[in-house]
Amino acid sequence: MYIILLFLGFGGIVLFEAPGLIYQKYWRELIFFFLFLGLAFTLSLLAVIGIKLPSPAEITEKIVNFFLKPLSKLF
Amino acid sequence: MKLEGGQISTSGLSFLLICYIFGSTIIIIPGREAEHNIWLAYIAGMTEGLIFAFIYTTLAQRFPQKTLIEINDLIYGPILGKLISLSYILYFLQLTALILRDFGDFFRGVLMPETPLVVFILFSALLGASAVRNGIEVIARCSIIIGPLAIVTSILVTLMLLPQMKITNILPIGDIPLKDFIKASHTVASVPFGETIAFLMVFAFMEKEKVKNIRKLTLLTIILGSIFLLINIFQTACTLGKTAQITLYPTFTAIRLINIGDVFTRLEALVIFAFLGLGFLKLTVSYYGATLGMAQILKLRSYLPLVLPLGVIIVVTSILHFENTIENIVWTSDIYPYYSIPFQIGIPLLSLLIAMVRKLPKQKTGSKQQQK
Repeated sequence: MYIILLFLGFGGIVLFEAPGLIYQKYWRELIFFFLFLGLAFTLSLLAVIGIKLPSPAEITEKIVNFFLKPLSKLF
Repeated sequence: MKLEGGQISTSGLSFLLICYIFGSTIIIIPGREAEHNIWLAYIAGMTEGLIFAFIYTTLAQRFPQKTLIEINDLIYGPILGKLISLSYILYFLQLTALILRDFGDFFRGVLMPETPLVVFILFSALLGASAVRNGIEVIARCSIIIGPLAIVTSILVTLMLLPQMKITNILPIGDIPLKDFIKASHTVASVPFGETIAFLMVFAFMEKEKVKNIRKLTLLTIILGSIFLLINIFQTACTLGKTAQITLYPTFTAIRLINIGDVFTRLEALVIFAFLGLGFLKLTVSYYGATLGMAQILKLRSYLPLVLPLGVIIVVTSILHFENTIENIVWTSDIYPYYSIPFQIGIPLLSLLIAMVRKLPKQKTGSKQQQK
């Protein structure tokens, strides 16, 4: 059910944006539009079918701790 | 090539800045580790924030009509500049996701606990996308309506809470370990004030003749916005006292206590409207910064095609960020202030120093381009 809604949503975005770009011959913009939309679709599809994606907060936490731990030993 | 045709007026920029500072700060109240001394932490944080703003506005005045992306290109060269700009865009995207999450969590937590989080985030993002598509001029005009409304609401709330306030709740003054105080004040500086780095994407669209006044205007606006924010923090600290520590949303809890002659009670639902407007403007500015920046890096002729795809990515990452509200609040106070240091102070300060040493922007380059 959610996957159908996802397809409908993304279909709507393509119908809303793509015809104008084709009409204006904005090919470069069209390529990047589909590139980012593809990325967005992959992320949403993975999230909808229940695959656990890494949390950006956890990644940043690891980076911060990597730099902060040596510093906290100093002070 | 100009991606954005709109221009913003001084009043538009002022109200936008005030709304941005209020934004999610009024809901999550960062710097709570300072307990009853939170207002002192806010004064210190605001001072730090003014230093941030001084650096940003100096950059904006040195490079008039240039966005952060173009400034990075001029200072660091095309390759390193693009890499730095890309990291900023990722930061703006994450910032937008975090703002959406803050508001999503807030609305689910206090208004509609049964509704899935994605509903709030998706519809707020759609609203933001619509504003971003309309351009910075429209966003600034929205702030002229929402800004005064939020200011009047906050003043009214403070007046109505006067009977509940106890000045003894903030005593003893200064009774806090220095380490905690510095941490709290830096959190305050990084959450609303450091995030004004997104305005380096907006300053470029100021009316041409007003560019010289950017620094004065921004600093004055931040001081004014800070005073209103401080009044709110003071009011919450005086009303709730120690219990502010155990509530998720202290401002909201304080507003719930308003009771004037059993007539004016439960006003929180009305105040939420003002909060919603503030959140909308804050997310719109960072969303706009990310989209416009991405279009500038990729040398596109319009940023509009990127608005919706980036919006979907923001919605997904916003949900992925945290498992629950507590995780969000802990991350904001423990990790975010350190994580944001390079973006908010490190790179801008370095850029300013390099620009001063290299005497950028060079006048000769401009005249050569004109000759061509």
